[in-house]
Amino acid sequence: MTELEAGRAQALVPVRSGAVLQRYRDVLIALIAFAVLASLPLFTGSKALLDFVIRCSAYGLFATSLNLLVGYTGLTSFGHGMFFGLGAYSFGLIMQKLGLPIPAAFVATLAITAVFAAIIGAICVRLKEIYFAFVTLAFQMLIHSTILSWASFTGGDQGLRGGIPRPVFLGIDLSNHVHLYVTSCALLIVGLLAMRQIAQSPFGYTLRMIRDNAARASFLGIDVWRAKLTVFVLAALFASMGGMVMALFVSGAYPEFAYWTISGEGIFINMLGGVSTFLGPMVGTVLLLLLNDTVTRFTEYHGIVLGVVILFFALGLRKGLLDFVAEWYAHRRETGEER
Amino acid sequence: MTRTRTPGISRRSTLALMGAGAMSVAAPWVARAQAKTIKIGMPTILSGRVAQLGTSSRNAVMLEVEKVNAAGGLAGRQIEMVIRDSKGQPQEAARVARELVNTDGCELLLDGEASSGSFAVHEVARDLGVLCIHTCSEASSLTADPKQHIPNAFRCVRQGIHDSIVGGSYAASIAKAKGLKKWATCSPDYAYGRDTTGEFTLYLKRFAPDVEIISESWPKLFQPDYTEVVTKILQAKPQALYSCLWGGDLTSYIDQANIYAMFSQMEVFAVNMADYTALTVVKNLPKGIHSGNRYIKTFPTTPENAAWGDAYRAKYNEYPTNWSWQNATAVMFLAEAAKKSNSADGKKIAEALKGLTIKCPFGADGTVTMRGDDHTLVGYAIGWGTTIPQEPYVPEVKAGDWKTIFELEAEWKKSKGYT
Repeated sequence: MTELEAGRAQALVPVRSGAVLQRYRDVLIALIAFAVLASLPLFTGSKALLDFVIRCSAYGLFATSLNLLVGYTGLTSFGHGMFFGLGAYSFGLIMQKLGLPIPAAFVATLAITAVFAAIIGAICVRLKEIYFAFVTLAFQMLIHSTILSWASFTGGDQGLRGGIPRPVFLGIDLSNHVHLYVTSCALLIVGLLAMRQIAQSPFGYTLRMIRDNAARASFLGIDVWRAKLTVFVLAALFASMGGMVMALFVSGAYPEFAYWTISGEGIFINMLGGVSTFLGPMVGTVLLLLLNDTVTRFTEYHGIVLGVVILFFALGLRKGLLDFVAEWYAHRRETGEER
Repeated sequence: MTRTRTPGISRRSTLALMGAGAMSVAAPWVARAQAKTIKIGMPTILSGRVAQLGTSSRNAVMLEVEKVNAAGGLAGRQIEMVIRDSKGQPQEAARVARELVNTDGCELLLDGEASSGSFAVHEVARDLGVLCIHTCSEASSLTADPKQHIPNAFRCVRQGIHDSIVGGSYAASIAKAKGLKKWATCSPDYAYGRDTTGEFTLYLKRFAPDVEIISESWPKLFQPDYTEVVTKILQAKPQALYSCLWGGDLTSYIDQANIYAMFSQMEVFAVNMADYTALTVVKNLPKGIHSGNRYIKTFPTTPENAAWGDAYRAKYNEYPTNWSWQNATAVMFLAEAAKKSNSADGKKIAEALKGLTIKCPFGADGTVTMRGDDHTLVGYAIGWGTTIPQEPYVPEVKAGDWKTIFELEAEWKKSKGYT
């Protein structure tokens, strides 16, 4: 070992152990978060609160997966909602037509989504910025139109009717509200933890490099197209998980799940919560759903209220909430150190 | 080598997660209602393209609820309506419906959703077991399909299949009288448009076998420009045209087709024309368009119906819509069923609703019935007439025959494998 190599090895050890430590900490936080969420039904009988968390799981998985593209890779997808819809429809159709056990349907849905995402991604990720955004939107509209037109298979604009059957598996009965709630929480936490691992892995840092300077990444020998395609497929899988949670919640799948407005909501959530921190989209989800649920209780002019909130974030904070908090905290610490 | 990350982020994430948890716990969940009043929840569409219909549903419900409350309420309990916007999104409709029952303490649901939203609310009713009356969804399968059937859901709405049977037989009689053999269709390209047009032509051909469809157009839902559709139809030179376009689509279509003088070149059958939302919006309403009745003050030609239309107009300064009479009828059914069972309990009302016949201004013979075997509304006023450009817009409506409707509906159900 040369002197240089020895020095490098010494420097790498603390970084590696730091990364391992970080991973353990993430897992610990995830376990605590799951324990807290899962024990909620013991303390409160509020079904509305449980409903709220289930919806947060669906949208949270979707929005965080979108952030893998938008925040980490710089791929602003306007069509990410198609995978949300695809997840809901694939899962619903498999359960209704084939009657597979739920875990099998879950895995099959992920496989279907992966195939779709690989094909669509292979075409889209070659494109840059606005072209990428619009071609993803075009694919979304294609899937949405297919759902509408293929009425004999998908139920057309009336959606998958008659409810999604939920046979009991491993003692879990998803037609039981609490079971569904705990399962949704588990999927959310597992999904978030997996996405966190992706974001913190060397691959995650490759994505950041591609975002900041794709040409440089390319010169360093990184296959940019392949990395982008990989993250596109991975993000689609988590969006699809979100779609499945939503399908279970409403016991059906509707074409609105694959409409561009869902993608729009995803982008809005990311704007609201912030894209520079991992949990930004999750905070955005909670904010948006809270806002939506409270505002629609009082007025049908919720559009105005949401519009004002967007303006506040876009013009006032100029960033998402968690971005703002993180910067404020960092700034305070810096000034504290100077003093 | 520098460290790429500061350890602080993780602490922040933890804080954020805790914050998120705390916020969801602290949300303003309202306590259950007191037992004295009875809350009825109603998700409907109050924003977006069909907001006008949702608003007219709310208006009609409030008009009737006032009457019921003045007469003592539901089995002695005053009704309090909790009406909330679903934005026409099924996932919101499901959420709002669950919230109304679980958080606001609503004991009954009126489902003012159209199309997919009504199926989403139907699943909520299945899940929660709460009594639910659908008041806006015309999709026949909602009650005809036995897979959809649940004991606690009813439909107080006109039905696509009923309209097609009556429309088909009316159109066939005109076709025979005037020798209309070449027909064209022009309907919106989604399930409602395709199904309704398919069923209409099925019954038209059944009653007038020598009719031939020579041209079909399927404009997109909410399409702004109909020029190509209009010219396509004109080139095909049909003797008659059927359309189930509705609302803003129908009015823009008529305005644009007027430029080509389409209505003087063929007989037009537009099932959704005779609704004030369309009649009052078209710039030059052509004379002689054949239409099914949606809501029209002049049909049924009874003083009760005219009085109801006038009362609604006096209160809200606009005419009621098709959704209005259906929602009003649902409240009338609730009131009667509560009286019959002497209870405001959902299960007892559901029992009483089965097969219940009530007096109603919108009944073909002054009464309407909630059919017991499939929980759907029958006996309502249904018919076709022709338009004139000014009030009363559709002066004479030829009533459909319910005996024929029942016969053909039973046949249709069999062909679909529903019975």
